[in-house]
Amino acid sequence: MVRNETEAVDLSQEAWIKGWQRLPQFLGESSFGTWITRIVINLCLDHLRKQKRQRMESIDAINEESGGVERQMPVVTVNPTAGLERSELRQRINRALGQLSCEHRTVLVLHEFEQMEYKEIAKTMGCSIGTVMSRLFYARRKMAALLAGLKKEDLR
Amino acid sequence: MMDYDSQLKVQARLDGELAAQEVPELEARLAEDSEAQALLAELEMTRGALAGFEAGVKLPESPELFWSKIQREIRREIQREIQRGPKPAEASRWASVFAGWQRWLAPVGAVAGVMAAVLVIGRSERAPEVETYLADSGAFTYHDFAARTTLVWLSYPADNELVDSEEPDTLD
Repeated sequence: MVRNETEAVDLSQEAWIKGWQRLPQFLGESSFGTWITRIVINLCLDHLRKQKRQRMESIDAINEESGGVERQMPVVTVNPTAGLERSELRQRINRALGQLSCEHRTVLVLHEFEQMEYKEIAKTMGCSIGTVMSRLFYARRKMAALLAGLKKEDLR
Repeated sequence: MMDYDSQLKVQARLDGELAAQEVPELEARLAEDSEAQALLAELEMTRGALAGFEAGVKLPESPELFWSKIQREIRREIQREIQRGPKPAEASRWASVFAGWQRWLAPVGAVAGVMAAVLVIGRSERAPEVETYLADSGAFTYHDFAARTTLVWLSYPADNELVDSEEPDTLD
C-alpha cells in the first residue's frame, strides 16, 4: 500500500501497538484478522494522506464519481507485460501501483495479494460491496492502461 | 457498448464471486460478445501480472527485531500509563463504585451500632434481637425484651413522614 518497505514495517509495528491499546474495544464481532487489518489500513491511509497525496486522490475520486472513466477506457488488447524480464515487470507494476489512489490501491492489494473476498474487503474498509467492486474494477482497468502506457524510459 | 453492471459481472466471474444463477447468462454473453471477451482478457492479464508480485518482497529486518520493537514500545506505553496514573474514566468508575457502597454505609453502620449496643448491654435473660429484611435493606428492627422496647430504624423517610417540599396539614 505505501510502496516503501521501511514505512510499511514502521506502520505495521504501529498497528500492533495500536491493536494492543485498543484490545478492550475488540468485541469479537469480526475476526481478529479483520479487526487488525482494518487498523493497518486506516494507519496506512492516514499516513498516505499526510504525505499530501490528496490532490492525486481527489482527481481519482472525481474520475470515479463523474461517470467512471474506467467504463470508457479502451480495452488493452496486447499484453504489455509479455516478454518483460521479472525485474522490469516488477518495476513497471510498482510504478503503476504508485499512480493509483490510496483507496483503489488498497482494494487491489487486499484482493490480489491478500486474497480477500469482496465481502471481507468491504468489512475491512467499512464500505459497501458495490464500492469494492467499483474500486477494484477501476484499479484493474487503470493498471492495464498504465502498464500499457509506461515506456521503458519512464522507469529510469 | 456493455453497460457498467455487465462489466462488473465480468469481473465478478473472473473473481469467482458471480452469483450462481447469473453465471449461465454471462457465459452465453461471453461466447458471442467480443467486447465482453476483450474485457475479460484484459482483467485476466492484469490479474496475471500482479500474481506473485509481492512474493519477492522481503522484510528489511529480521522477524525477531520486528517483534522486539513492538514489545519495547508496549513496555514503554505501560510505563507511561503507570506514570500518568488512572485515567479519568477509571477514576470515575471508582467514584461510582464508592458511591454504590456509600448508600449501604448508613444502614450497615446502624446495624453495627445496634449490634455493638446489644453486645455491651445485653445481659438480660433474653438477648435483644435485630431484624433486617431482605426485601427492604433500608429498614431494620431492634427488640429489647428486657426493656420492652422495640425500635424501627429506617434509612429513608417513611410514607407518612414529611418531606421538605410538602406542607404539613394544619388544623384551623
